[in-house]
Amino acid sequence: MTSKFNRQILGLPIGRRQVLTGMAATGVAASAGLAGPALAQSKKTGVVRVWGEPGPYGGVAVAAMNEWAQKNAPGLKFEIESIPWDGVYIKLMTDLAAKRPPALISVESPIAMQLMAEGLLAPVDDLVDRIGRNRLVDGVQWGYWGAWKGKQYIVPAHHQPHLLLVRMDIVKELGLGDPDTWDWNDLLNAAKAISQKKPDMAGFCMALGRNLCTDYHFAALLHSAGGRMFDAANKFEVAFDSPQTVEALTFVKELQPYMPKGAVEYSFLQVVDAHVTGRTAMSFYWGRTLGRAAEEAKPVFEATEAFNHARNPTTKRRSNWNDFQGWCIPAQNNPFIDEVRQALVYQQTSKDWLIKYCHSLMPNVAPTYKDVADAPELKEHPFYKSKPRTVDTYFKASLANSSSTANELLQGVNPLAGIVHGRSVLAQTVQKVVIDNMKPQDAAKWGAKELSDIRRENMRLLG
Amino acid sequence: MRPSYTLSDRTVGLLFIAPFVTAALFFMIYPVAEAIRMAFYSYNPLRPELSTFVGLANFEYIFRDPLFWDSFWQATVWTFLSIVFQTVFGVGIAMLLHQALAGMAIFRGLLLFPYIVPTVVIALIWRWIFNPEIGVVNHALQGAGLINEPIYWLSTPSMAMASTIMLNVWKYMPFVVICVLARLQTVPLELYDAAKVDGAGIVRRFLDVTLPQLKEVLIVVIVFRTIWTFNKFEEIYLLTKGGPGTSTFNLAVYSFEQSIANLRLGVGAATGVVMMVMLSLGSIIYLRVSGFGEDERAS
Amino acid sequence: MTRNEFWGHTRRLVSYAVLCAVTFLVCFPLVWAVSTSLKPKSEIFSTPPTLVPHTVTLENYKALITGRPQYFQSGDQQVTSGTTPAQFFMRWFVNSMIVTLGSTLISIVISTLAAYSLTRFRYWGRTVVPYFSLLGYMVPSIIFVFPLFLVMVQLDLTDSLLSLVLGYVCITLPFCMWLMWAFMRSIPIEIEEAALIDGASRLQVFWQVVLPTALPGIIAAAIFSMIVSWNDYLFGRVFLNSLDNLTLTVGVMLFFEGTHVDWGLLMAASVLMTVPMAILFMALQRHLVAGFGAGAVKG
Repeated sequence: MTSKFNRQILGLPIGRRQVLTGMAATGVAASAGLAGPALAQSKKTGVVRVWGEPGPYGGVAVAAMNEWAQKNAPGLKFEIESIPWDGVYIKLMTDLAAKRPPALISVESPIAMQLMAEGLLAPVDDLVDRIGRNRLVDGVQWGYWGAWKGKQYIVPAHHQPHLLLVRMDIVKELGLGDPDTWDWNDLLNAAKAISQKKPDMAGFCMALGRNLCTDYHFAALLHSAGGRMFDAANKFEVAFDSPQTVEALTFVKELQPYMPKGAVEYSFLQVVDAHVTGRTAMSFYWGRTLGRAAEEAKPVFEATEAFNHARNPTTKRRSNWNDFQGWCIPAQNNPFIDEVRQALVYQQTSKDWLIKYCHSLMPNVAPTYKDVADAPELKEHPFYKSKPRTVDTYFKASLANSSSTANELLQGVNPLAGIVHGRSVLAQTVQKVVIDNMKPQDAAKWGAKELSDIRRENMRLLG
Repeated sequence: MRPSYTLSDRTVGLLFIAPFVTAALFFMIYPVAEAIRMAFYSYNPLRPELSTFVGLANFEYIFRDPLFWDSFWQATVWTFLSIVFQTVFGVGIAMLLHQALAGMAIFRGLLLFPYIVPTVVIALIWRWIFNPEIGVVNHALQGAGLINEPIYWLSTPSMAMASTIMLNVWKYMPFVVICVLARLQTVPLELYDAAKVDGAGIVRRFLDVTLPQLKEVLIVVIVFRTIWTFNKFEEIYLLTKGGPGTSTFNLAVYSFEQSIANLRLGVGAATGVVMMVMLSLGSIIYLRVSGFGEDERAS
Repeated sequence: MTRNEFWGHTRRLVSYAVLCAVTFLVCFPLVWAVSTSLKPKSEIFSTPPTLVPHTVTLENYKALITGRPQYFQSGDQQVTSGTTPAQFFMRWFVNSMIVTLGSTLISIVISTLAAYSLTRFRYWGRTVVPYFSLLGYMVPSIIFVFPLFLVMVQLDLTDSLLSLVLGYVCITLPFCMWLMWAFMRSIPIEIEEAALIDGASRLQVFWQVVLPTALPGIIAAAIFSMIVSWNDYLFGRVFLNSLDNLTLTVGVMLFFEGTHVDWGLLMAASVLMTVPMAILFMALQRHLVAGFGAGAVKG
């Protein structure tokens, strides 16, 4: 007892209790053959900390890594730490500054690319060779997850677009047409019609709070309008003070009367809540909403379908904001780099584990490799049977409209996006318009100034 | 003769104070000094090796930042209203508890309880009961016919401010109660009897007898609570994160956001220095009104 | 019944009614939290909401105490999705206990020794130290949390419970010091002098005469210190990194920040983390009230 107490308060690695993982449940020998020559068994002991976003899939990936550890590093135990999106920054700052980074991080591309450009990550080109350079699904490139100055730093975990979720029962009842053909005006009219005819229901919902979710939701509208924060082709000069930004902000302002009143404070959770509890007929969201609706509100689940976003009337773009979530390996103060690289290859080359990964929260995390995306086993999921078109839109048909703040309009990797999100610049710009009633032109100017500050303070990242 | 192994009085005295001095140096004086030093540096916690001396630039930055001033004024409003309500309710409840009635100990226990509830817990409960759509408060108000449509407690700037004030009043009102109650117990009963003889009613008796007796303790409590409330962090951060927009930012949240989200530890530290200056002024006032140190000079 | 008796009864009735109403309002958030924590999932969102659950379930508490795993369906297999925050709850509980007791013990020992030294020995600065200590108590932790964090990084102590123990000593020591000093001053020195004349050594006097007399002060300081340490969020959030080492306040917030909130589970966690403080409060309320005012109100 005393020795345990001492070890604990002295911060030494302590004996970890065994936690149930997927290992016991699977018992399936994964195809480790692709993993290449295995290292000699690792003698290291302790807990390998892995960051993931909230949701079960991080736990599944770690279960795969533990399966690897059982054979190749019996003293190690991988443990997932779910980092809430809005908590990533404080976690990042304290863990890295404390020189205690996790051994492996699964994070959205803006932050991954910021870490990459800061030189904090270990390159993974050789891992890509072992995982299989030609496996990516059509329409994406390795660079979307994170390559910098000719080197790959991020291994894909999944891709994850947010789309337009629509309650088809309501849309049909009111005769609003096929959401797949809508442009912004149609979306606005539909939201208006629903708000007017359904007294207990908002027409549309997106996040408008000062948070990451608002950043991501607004970015899709900005990119659809053809706007950008930075010009990747021109030394990342700020391009935010533009008619396109004004157009997107104006559109949000026009939609606001048809959103739930609380939307100005909404983040990830509340947007999902609003849709799942039937308080909105349409919303912007990733596939998670369907997963939750299936568990908690069957009728909502059955009536909801996902579509590529409404077209911008001028550009005809339907841009979504795609997460391009990847695995990255901190290069400094990381005692488990070798083991993590091995375990990552093991997980990435096991079709079985990758399918489980996707199945753990359908259709939120989309497969990145062709062999997984086309596997018949992947389709053995009830959602595939009840909503084939929606699942397919999340998994494949959305890719043609992919965009991201870290790779705006897919015109080039942007290492400043993570900082932009850390400071919620886009969300604050939106809030200037929806809360403070600032003119969109002035809000765009305010946002542009913030972005210029970020660029000026972080020139070293662009060098 | 004392045996030689007995410690001399002086040694005992110094030995006893030594741990305190050591702890104070390492874990109080040094961090505060370091906080002041950092205010003059540009410091990105992800890249500590790039830290550079920037003179007064951090101070220039905050004084030019409209958000800093917004935070300052919001903190002032927050503090003022919190203190007013805390004091009014605190005195009221103390008066109620200052009666010789059976079962008073139970009431007193229950009414003082909020003070020991963790802020995290209160913030979570608040978010639950004040949830506009599924929270019980809106339900009750609508059920009682007091409101027609749900109140968005945390979604409009003024209601969010009101909610954080309510939380703060709820949690710290017991502090006022305890201090006032202690003082009430020392008010001589003869004063009341005399007032009664003069025909003064309850209100008159409160204004003419009780309040003057409480004046001293109330001033001390108010100054003390003002210093504390102005710098509160968790009560706001855990409930609203400073939102919606930045409408419930105070200087502590501003400092935290600058340090963490903006990775500008220097700017956060400069805000801290401004807070410390204000705090010192407040503390001097506090020492004055509380009368600490007077007897020191007298003795 | 005389007129006077009648008024006496009425006044008492009114007083009780007002007291009950106020107590209900103050306690309502906590009562609602307990009620939510005992409801099954289906009843949590039921309209109208029920104060007394129709079906009482301990499911939420069981999940926290035993650590309920989560499953999902893949093909025809049930797969667990790794660890959930609920599975760490008991571990975090123990961690919170360790840091709370550890830091309180250290704070009390240091402050008692120092207060004795300051009140019984004459040396330079002895009158100033308590006042600086009181000022130190006023400095909000947001100001020095990052510098202190950087100290912990240099000492290689981050992500350990020890770092938190030291951090809490640093927030609680100034007030404990002030309180113990005020208390020690009020203990008459004559008994000690008598014991010293009888041939007892300083240490014997301290151990056998002073400590027992100072016990009420020590208890008050300990309660204060435990409340502060148990309830802190900021230090835990900044100092700790890995799941295994978190404290309750930091860990429980992980329940909240996803796309799904299990309010029943969250409220059960809130109740459980309030229980130790509630027990402490009930057992030692008297001392809390006595020691409480000492920081703000002289005497």
